[in-house]
Formats: sequence, C-alpha cells, structure tokens
Amino acid sequence: MKASSMTARTLDTFARMSIGRAFASGIGMVAGGFLILLVLVAIFAPWIAPFDYAAQNLMNANAPPGWPHLLGTDEFGRDVLSRVIFGARTSLSVSATAIAISMAAGMTLGAAAGYFGGFFERAVMTVVDLTWSFPDILIALIFVAIIGPGLTSTTFAIAIAYLAQFTRLTRAQIVRLKRETFIEATVNLGANPSHILLRHLMPNAIAPVIVVGMLAIGDGIVLEATLGFFGLGAQPPTPSWGAMMSSGTAQLFLSPWVIIFPGVAVAVTVIAVNLFGDELIRALDIRDRLRGA
Amino acid sequence: MPNLLEIRDLTKRFTSAGGPFRKARSMHAVNGVSFDLPEGRVIGVVGESGCGKSTLARLILRLIEPTSGTVAFDGDDLLAKSPSQMRKLRARMQMVFQDPYSAIDPRYTLTRAVAEPFEVQGVKPARPMAEEVAELLEMVGLNPGLASSYPHQISGGQKQRVGIARALALRPSLLVLDEPTASLDVSVQAQIIGLLEDLRSELGLTYLFISHDLSLVKYFCDEILVMYLGRVVEALPDTNAPARHPYTKTLMESTFEPDPKKRRLIAPLEGEVPSPFDLPPGCAFADRCPRASALCRTDTPVLSTDSGHAVACHHPI
Repeated sequence: MKASSMTARTLDTFARMSIGRAFASGIGMVAGGFLILLVLVAIFAPWIAPFDYAAQNLMNANAPPGWPHLLGTDEFGRDVLSRVIFGARTSLSVSATAIAISMAAGMTLGAAAGYFGGFFERAVMTVVDLTWSFPDILIALIFVAIIGPGLTSTTFAIAIAYLAQFTRLTRAQIVRLKRETFIEATVNLGANPSHILLRHLMPNAIAPVIVVGMLAIGDGIVLEATLGFFGLGAQPPTPSWGAMMSSGTAQLFLSPWVIIFPGVAVAVTVIAVNLFGDELIRALDIRDRLRGA
Repeated sequence: MPNLLEIRDLTKRFTSAGGPFRKARSMHAVNGVSFDLPEGRVIGVVGESGCGKSTLARLILRLIEPTSGTVAFDGDDLLAKSPSQMRKLRARMQMVFQDPYSAIDPRYTLTRAVAEPFEVQGVKPARPMAEEVAELLEMVGLNPGLASSYPHQISGGQKQRVGIARALALRPSLLVLDEPTASLDVSVQAQIIGLLEDLRSELGLTYLFISHDLSLVKYFCDEILVMYLGRVVEALPDTNAPARHPYTKTLMESTFEPDPKKRRLIAPLEGEVPSPFDLPPGCAFADRCPRASALCRTDTPVLSTDSGHAVACHHPI
C-alpha cells in the first residue's frame, strides 16, 4: 500500500465525515444547501440565465421588476437577473481562487516558520504581519497600479489580504503540535523533516485552517464586491455584484432594483458562508484551536 | 559481553538568553554522567522528578544535543554522525515513552502507526505488511483485530503496547524505557512490565530503564544508577547491594513494604532539592544530608568505585 494514497484516503474520510456533520443541523443544511445551489447556478449560468447578460436594450432601460425581466433592467436595459446569475460566477470564482492561493501560500509559510523556527520564523512572521498593517483597499490599489484594474488584481489583493491569517494560524498549530510526544517518537524512528511535516504536522493542523478558509471566502466575496464597487475589479461588461451596485447608485431612487438585488445576493451568500462555517467549526470541534492564532 | 553503550561525561546545560531586564541563566540538567551498558543487561536509572533522568534518555538517543561528553553506541561515536547517518542508526536504538496517550498520532490507525517505522526507514519487511503488523501486534499481546482502530478507541495500556510494537518493529538492539508505566494504573503496569521482561529474553534486548519507582527498578534491573540533580550519586552493581550513599538509603527506606512486621521508621528528608539553576558548591545533597560535614559544602564528591560499587560521597555508609 502506498503511503501517499493512505494519507489521501484518511484525509478524505475525515473531510467527508466532518463536512457531513456540518450538514446535520438545520442551519447547516439550509446554509450548505444554499451554497451548493449557488455554485451550481454559477457553473450552469449560461443555461439558467434567461437573457444574455451583456445584451443592451436602451428602449427598455430601468424597467421595474416584472415579466419578462423578473428583477427589472439596468440603465442600459440589461436583464438584472441574468447579470446577478453571471455575477455569482465572478464573485465565487475570484473569492475562491484568491483564498485558495492565500491558503496554499499561508500554510506553506506558516508550517515552515513554525517547524524551523529561529531567524527564518521571525523574518517570515514580520513580513507577513506587515501585510496586515495595510488596509485591503490599499493593497488592491497597489496591484491595480502595477498590473491594471481587473479580476487578476482583485484576486491577488484578496490573496495578500488574507495571507497573514492563514500563516499565523498554521504556525500556531505547528508550534503546538511539534511538542507532542508522537512527533518525538517519529523523529526517534528516524523520520526526516519532510515526513514529520507532511505526514504528521500538516494533517493534524489542517482542520482549523480549512474552517478559516471557508469563512474567508465570505469575506473575500465582500472584498471583491467592494473593489468592484470602486471600479477596481471586474471591468464592463463582465458582471460582478460589486460593480453592479456601483452603477446602480446613480439611479438609487429612480430604479432601486438595480442596486438592491446584487446587494441581497452578496448579503445572503456571505451570511450562508458564515453560518456554514460556524457549523463546520462545531462539526470539527476546534473552537479552542482557532483561538490560538 | 561487549558494551552496547558507553557514556562518558555526558553534560547538558540549558541556557536562557539574557536580556536588558534579566540575566542569562543556565540550568544543569545532566552533569557529567558516565556509565557502560553491556549488551543484554538492564540498567535502571532512578531519581526523583527533575533529576535529569528523561533528559539523559534523550541525550543518549541524541534527540537533544549534549553540551559536552560522548555517547558511543556499539563502538560508534553517535555525536560524530551526520543527520542522515543518525536517522539510519535510529532503527537500532528505540525508545518507549512515558505518555502513551500522546505517543501515537491521533489520525493514524494502529496498522499505519506500526507500519510507520518501515516506511520511515525505507525497509521492506520479508512478508506482506499486513502480516508483519499483525505479527507485531500479537508479539506485544494485542489482538490483531484492533489493527484498524484509532488510538482514541483503545485503552492506555493498549496504547503503550502499540508504542512498544512501534519501537520493536525494526528489531533494535537497545530499548530506552522512559517511565513506560508511570501513567498507567497499577494492574496494567504489572502487565506491561511482564511483557517487557518476556520481550527481553525472547529478542535478546538491552534495556535502559528509567523510573522514579525504586522497587520497580529493583525488581526489573540488573544494575541501578541513582541520580540526584543531574549527577549519578551511586551505581549499584546489583539490586541487593546495600546503599552507600545517604540519598539512596533514604530512597530505599521509603519504598513501601507490604509486610507490616518488616516496616521500619522512615526518616523523612528535610529541606528541598536545590534549584538546578544555581547549584551550590560542594555536594548538591549536603543541605538535606544527615552525614554532611563542612567538606561536603565546599568540595563536590566524585564517583569512586570500590569493587564495582561506585558512590559519590565524602562520608559513604
């Protein structure tokens, strides 16, 4: 039996077990169910959306919700429902990609810092903490200044904004685990550092990091919307919930549906992510460990 | 019998760096310990908590680096080994840990835990891994049916058996037992001790047995080293040798005697163990010793041997 497949299988069983338990409660089921639905909507957007999200019809601009435009149209006569549906794609993919990058980098840095300690640890933690001292918007502006506005800048900005959190959490876990007897016992068997890190320390440290990652996806959606609102994120005509709200501010009193529906989408999604994250914390039983960071 | 272990002047000082508001301090955990462990023998190390027993075990296995001194294992200088040479050598010198509850990764099944030594050393057992694991579990008295259990599903005594199976998987010649029964209840302690005795005669192992329980050490070991504050104060060549160091005498008198007719008055020790941070000059035991003289407070006694029985005392009994 290969060791790597053994690790993968244990991890897999563990994840299925705990995510399964997160769905067990009523709140977990509703929130988790909504998120699954949202992901499906984002994936199948072209088949679900009733209209082309970019099709303009100036004759029918600012139409109130009704038939055939269920959520009305915006200032260019584009279907708001279709744009909210396609916006889910932008919001979810940008946030999830950014958090995935951030988690991967943060876990690598945090694990190395926690394991090796010493000067390396202090150097990494100082640099990482430094990123925490900049407001997220400022980090985004730096990326916009370097590579121009767009989803790439947004993604990197979100990734950097959450890097410190993942790094600190992983490091705290590793430092705690390093003192356990089973680590000393495995060193005494003749294990090399990579075996200790990858087979013992990381698998035991990963659960809280996954939960924080889950919660961060919610924050990432808000940050993406904020950057979109300022025109730093998705560029027209790509729909993004933030950018839609931004263009809606001009007609806030004339056609409030243009700003309300993407706003509701952001709010409901973020609430669902947070509720599900809370259930995940309970399912994994790691409240105490999250406080360590 | 050739010596499997030769320890010379092994010393470990833990130092804390000084800063603007505190002085640098150094603590003598292990202070100039020397002894030989011949192949096939069992040497017991006794002493109270904090006397450096566990540090000594970790120094011998090079889990921590000594400040000075040498450790020779089977004639090889361990401290001269590179990290990768050391990793290979670890297969031959294993340890059973005091706390079986945290000695196994909570995410590992017993199969995986017992197969790990082979994985780590890149050794392929002669038979299929599942058979090898079942054999090892049986050897330590566990039902191979438990192989797919997780550590939290088994008892403390069973966990300690798993710890022993892991340690023996690669057929080491030296086993360091760091209070292997201290966190188990008494009936389980007896089972584990019995198991260790059987394994020793079956596999021809050499043990270094560390404990604070003198009666257990007397029962289990061939020779006894008594440690006090990082130093070996007495080396008893056999378990029936009379104590010559006042500290050993007190330790022996304080062991529980089940027969009330044989019980005698125990003279309790006065005072406390001095702080290992600022060791007093002279004998570390002087302040608590009924036989102490002015000499004891100025000159540190050295371990001197008289017909195989070594004692570090100016006024031995």
